[in-house]
Amino acid sequence: MASIMFYLLSLILLTATLLCIFQRNPVHAVLYLVLGFFSLAIMFYLLGAPLVAAWEVIVYAGAIMVLFLFIIMMLGLAPQDRPEGPGWQRWLPFVILMAAVLACTLVIIALDPAATAQGEPYSLGPQDFGEALFGKYALAVQVVSFQLLFAAVGAYNLGRIQRGKGKP
Amino acid sequence: MNWLDLLALGPHVFLVFGATSLLLLGAWCSKTRVILLSGIFVSLLSALLSGIAPPVDGDIAGLFSAGGYARFFTIFWFLTAAITLMISVRFSIELNLNAGEYVALVLFAALGMALLSSAIHLLGLFLGLEALTLAFYVLIASNRRSELSAEAGLKYLLLGAVATGFLAFGIGLVYTASGSLHLPEAFQGLQAEDGHLRAWGLLGWGLLLTAVGFKISLVPFHLWTADVYQGTPSPVAAFLSTGAKGAVVAGFIGLVISSGSAWKDLSDLLWVVAALTMIFGALGGLPQNNLKRLLAYSSIAHMGTVLVGILCQTPTGFSATIFYIVVYVIANLGTFGVIASFSRAGEEPEDLDQWRGLGYRNPLRCTVLTLLLLSLAGLPATAGFIGKFAIFHAAIQSGLVSLAIIGIISSLIAFAYYLKVVIVMFSPESQADRPSPGEPLEFGVLAACTTAVILLGLFPGPLFDLISKILP
Repeated sequence: MASIMFYLLSLILLTATLLCIFQRNPVHAVLYLVLGFFSLAIMFYLLGAPLVAAWEVIVYAGAIMVLFLFIIMMLGLAPQDRPEGPGWQRWLPFVILMAAVLACTLVIIALDPAATAQGEPYSLGPQDFGEALFGKYALAVQVVSFQLLFAAVGAYNLGRIQRGKGKP
Repeated sequence: MNWLDLLALGPHVFLVFGATSLLLLGAWCSKTRVILLSGIFVSLLSALLSGIAPPVDGDIAGLFSAGGYARFFTIFWFLTAAITLMISVRFSIELNLNAGEYVALVLFAALGMALLSSAIHLLGLFLGLEALTLAFYVLIASNRRSELSAEAGLKYLLLGAVATGFLAFGIGLVYTASGSLHLPEAFQGLQAEDGHLRAWGLLGWGLLLTAVGFKISLVPFHLWTADVYQGTPSPVAAFLSTGAKGAVVAGFIGLVISSGSAWKDLSDLLWVVAALTMIFGALGGLPQNNLKRLLAYSSIAHMGTVLVGILCQTPTGFSATIFYIVVYVIANLGTFGVIASFSRAGEEPEDLDQWRGLGYRNPLRCTVLTLLLLSLAGLPATAGFIGKFAIFHAAIQSGLVSLAIIGIISSLIAFAYYLKVVIVMFSPESQADRPSPGEPLEFGVLAACTTAVILLGLFPGPLFDLISKILP
């Protein structure tokens, strides 16, 4: 059961990613990416990483994609003119894929509410995760946080308008 | 992480603290020269610290090595950062750069190089590589008056992102097949006879090599090099062509040494890549009339030669490669240093026409450039010749005779474009625009690079001894 669902979700993930790449409208592309993240989250859950699954939804699908949408709207990148044809045709693939993802979620909840299919040896709880991250890989976390700091500094350095400092 | 790890990381921590403090100093102090000089001081002091720190047994948090090899490259990259800052002083004053950010990013890139060279864990390798690439995305675009600089930054960003994707996916597949990210085990796991995942592991290894190929511009992945070099300000280009590539090579040598026989599966492929890279680097440079583009092709050719040394898969080959990298870094820093010393307010003499007759008006700097270019070309009695000789000698010893012959022929072809620059510099026609007279710090760098190239050319023994001692 779990492996059937895994391959089904992989198929959804691939389709959603391809649709994301080939969309002309950036807002639609972001929505397909969100869909891909949802199916990826369920795959993580099936692989015994519920925490990563939750983060995939909260951080990527939630926070980062909202940021993407926000930037697309702020820069006015979305096309203004409405394309030809009825609206449902454009939304049909998204609705079908989303329904499939939702169905997978419901099947997991219905058949396996205690998450026994994950198998004990592979399951990784939040505590193990935290210990590995801030114990064994503490140095890596430090390096990554410095990378983020310098990425922010660099982005600000390139993006700011220089006042009274020659031509920008 | 424990106190011993922290002690071994002392120089790195000092460097990062220095970088962040200078970043803050930049907010209050508007004196560009002061900030840059303190940046030079910080990187020199970090290099000194990692030189005199007591040796630490074992590794740092399982991610990085603390051995002689790691320490050698840590010192070397910190010194490279110091030299980069020395040739950036006038550039950043004239362009009114935000000195705090510039210095902090250069220092952080140096930290990434040091970490990358000492990685013994695929996660450490990834972190080090990303740290240095991230800093370079910004540094390359730092000349905001030039559209070419922005274009170069964008090109490097896009291809860097692609390379990162390859690297992350490759590491993932290697982990899938071997179940480990720690270096000797990760690749030895690929060799397990019963492993039905071996194909995936080899695919991962190949993707990893693709990422390395992007970073050091091996031939199918070299297309960004000339454009990016052309747009990048010379001081940054000096750092990009030396530190960024050299650190990737140093990290890659670490990978190859630990890979054992897993290496054999891909060595035929790399044989072709090395041959193509050397030939293309030599032929592609011939029609160039822009000095920085020409140096880009020169760096492609050099990376092909480096790959020959790595392909030998013998201690002789590895030590020849490390020697070659050291010499290449010194000569390239000096070459870009000369270009930077001629630059005025971000305008660099790139076109070969602008160099016409410069040798008569600025004989000293042009002589230095001639010497460094000849060392890059591999003229006997310069350090470049010793490096090339050592690599091809090691290649012939380990049976790569045809590759060595291809390398020697393409080195001879490459001579043509190095000599073209020299001939143009010392040809009689004179141009009207006057390049910058330069400043003492830049002359100091040029003097140091020249001395090093000559000394290493005449007495290469001590460095070879040192390298054979530190080889992991």
